[in-house]
Amino acid sequence: MGVDGVSPMVDIAVSGLRAQSLRLNLISANIANAETTHTATGRPYRRQDVVLATTPENLGGVTVISIARDQSAFQSVLIPGHPDADEQGYVDMPNVQLPTEMMNLVFASRAYEANVAVLKRYQDMVEATIELLR
Amino acid sequence: MPQGTGLIGHLDAGLRATSLRQTTIANNIANMATPGYRRVTLPFEGIFADALKSGRPVDLDDVASCIVQPRTDPLNEHGNDVELDAEVAELVRNSALYKTYMRVLNRMYRQMDLAIQG
Repeated sequence: MGVDGVSPMVDIAVSGLRAQSLRLNLISANIANAETTHTATGRPYRRQDVVLATTPENLGGVTVISIARDQSAFQSVLIPGHPDADEQGYVDMPNVQLPTEMMNLVFASRAYEANVAVLKRYQDMVEATIELLR
Repeated sequence: MPQGTGLIGHLDAGLRATSLRQTTIANNIANMATPGYRRVTLPFEGIFADALKSGRPVDLDDVASCIVQPRTDPLNEHGNDVELDAEVAELVRNSALYKTYMRVLNRMYRQMDLAIQG
């Protein structure tokens, strides 16, 4: 990947922006599906998260290895009369915990902003270099 | 630039060091949520100062070899030791340093220009 190879600093910050924005997308998918009891497989929605890794070469930024599904147990809630309820009236609800998602949302957006700060600083430095030509 | 040829050689090394350090900070920030990542730093000024004090020649071209992974900072819940506040503070400090070197270099070139024009 990499934007254009002009500067590794820009490529690294952009890799961080991409990883965090993907994370934000997954968090919003998790929140939107917090009550989804029926997906294409017929089972409740499983929460998703990114698996991040640092690139093997030195100073290459961050990469997303995969999008993983959380395999923890579903929450069983008593809702008699629900179309997906079993004989006792229990419904398997997604394993999405809203407080956790909100916390991850704050963390991911802060991480995104930090990468934007890096890009802004890079712009400052380039401007200082251009000053030499004035 | 040959080794240690006066102020311009030093400024050149300083610019390359701050620019590379900015890259290491960018890498630390991009990996702040990567499990198991350990932060990298570039303590170039310390190494340079030690070399000047001891009087041995300094290879100003080889800034990249000064990159180290301290592995001493406390780990957070991701098993990684990037502390965002510290990285952002370092980011601001380092870009100010870069701009300072650039200004001094600019001033020197202007002085030369003045000397040439008479």
